[in-house]
Amino acid sequence: MTNLLKIEWLKIKAYPAFWWVLGVTALAYPGINYAMFSFYNRILNDPKTVGPAIKTMIGNPFSYNEVWHTVGYFSSWFILFPAIIVIMLITNEYTFRTNRQNVIDGWTRKQFLTAKFLDVCIISVLITILYFLVCLLIRTNEGALGGEGTNKMYFIGYFLLLTFSQLSLAFFIGFLVRKSFIALSLYLFLSMILEPLLTGILERLNLKIGQFFPFEISDRMIPPPAFFGRFSPEKYQQAMDSTFTHCIYTVIFTLLVWLFCFRLNAKRDL
Amino acid sequence: MNILEIQNIHKAYGPTKALNGVGFAVPKGAIFGLLGPNGSGKTTLLSIILDVLKADQGAFSWFGQNSSTDFRKRIGTLLETPNFYHYLSAEQNLEITRRISGRGTKEDIAKALRKVNLYERRKGKFSSYSLGMKQRLAIAAALLGDPTVLVLDEPTNGLDPVGIAEIRALITELSNNGHTVIMASHLLDEVEKVCTHVAIMKSGNLLQSGAVAEVLSSDDLVEVGAENLNGLARVITQLPGLIRHTVESDKLLLTLPNGSSNLERINRFCFEHGFVLNHLYLKKQRLEARFFELTNN
Repeated sequence: MTNLLKIEWLKIKAYPAFWWVLGVTALAYPGINYAMFSFYNRILNDPKTVGPAIKTMIGNPFSYNEVWHTVGYFSSWFILFPAIIVIMLITNEYTFRTNRQNVIDGWTRKQFLTAKFLDVCIISVLITILYFLVCLLIRTNEGALGGEGTNKMYFIGYFLLLTFSQLSLAFFIGFLVRKSFIALSLYLFLSMILEPLLTGILERLNLKIGQFFPFEISDRMIPPPAFFGRFSPEKYQQAMDSTFTHCIYTVIFTLLVWLFCFRLNAKRDL
Repeated sequence: MNILEIQNIHKAYGPTKALNGVGFAVPKGAIFGLLGPNGSGKTTLLSIILDVLKADQGAFSWFGQNSSTDFRKRIGTLLETPNFYHYLSAEQNLEITRRISGRGTKEDIAKALRKVNLYERRKGKFSSYSLGMKQRLAIAAALLGDPTVLVLDEPTNGLDPVGIAEIRALITELSNNGHTVIMASHLLDEVEKVCTHVAIMKSGNLLQSGAVAEVLSSDDLVEVGAENLNGLARVITQLPGLIRHTVESDKLLLTLPNGSSNLERINRFCFEHGFVLNHLYLKKQRLEARFFELTNN
């Protein structure tokens, strides 16, 4: 296992595109959250508006504990960046035909895929660490509601699982399609256009099947935070109640995705 | 002892049969040439024995073992094209090969690069290399750690004449040191110059395999020449054992059963029939001729 990781590190460490996208990701996560944080402060602390009154009602989404949920939600919008890295890492192997060279040189097909699985795991952990640091940087003790002292650090686990699940999907697309630009386009189209559109339509039709769509299944582990949800407390509570169920669904779904990848890799020509 | 045994390998791509029951054995220490025109199934066969492609049917064994996951680590391979990470240098790419295969040390990387004259450019990125340099790097990767068996698919692709001569010399040197080399090529001259054994393929079928001498020695070829070539051509049909004769510019080419070409007997026969020969030569059959004969080209 360590040897697989060391070899993957040799492949990655001198790959400029990897560091560029990682850099962009490292800026995007604090960037989006700080922008939201500033927006919140500007609107709700403006004494000329009804902001302070709303603030009393909805609490501070960046207060300690609530921050794990809020930052997790906004950060989940930007899984796209690490997804680009994951897609590049797998499609590069097909473009350079190094996937077959690795096997020719002595890796088993399973070792090749395990190495990629470890890449996805490590990138997910790195992104979660980034999310964790952003939470620590941005959190505030000001404005927390007395009754909301429940520990929401479990969102760290949800965020890790959500990231891993959606990066696994990115990997799956790259693994199937093999061409980087097609895989990226497909990922974007599925995650940002087709699935949200279908989910929206199905919800309007009162059909619940949308919650089982590949991205939606993990998205629902981190529903829109309280300050959005308060405008419809019932829906918010419903979403919060189903997070654990979706955590189970996500684990099963992600497991199936990897199982399929390993099975296919064992059988198909390289 | 055989290094590789292949039995009845079949592979199809939809309706196209790429391999049709191919089987042969590669003895230890042989330089084994896999010959065939483009599309004959050479690379498909090599890809199957290296686990890159899955055979539809059939089996193969390396080093006498049927299912070993580690066998590829003992084989230096160049398959089809040089496959390396474009953004990495020659050194970095070979380090990955070394870590995966477990063959050689860091010093061996420099040694392999020197062997293919790439040491001076070892820090250059693969993407900046010419076609010939890429091919040299692939050969260096195959040579890394001095494996006892090498599989080289079209090893002289993209090389200049000097490079081709160097690779030929290298293969002979490897053979002299007891290595087994399996080499696919459609360049007959190349195979004839270095191979001890050969398998000839066409359209996914194995036409013939064995030691080069055996494959080539199906018939004897004798060239004869005389002042009156047309007259000689009429008389020569009475030569006992003659299979056929063909007129080749100012000579006749006689085909006789293997081992029956006694030049003295032919000379006497012609003289007794009134023809004084000005040319009599037992021609060694060239691989090229045999190849065209077998593949009907």
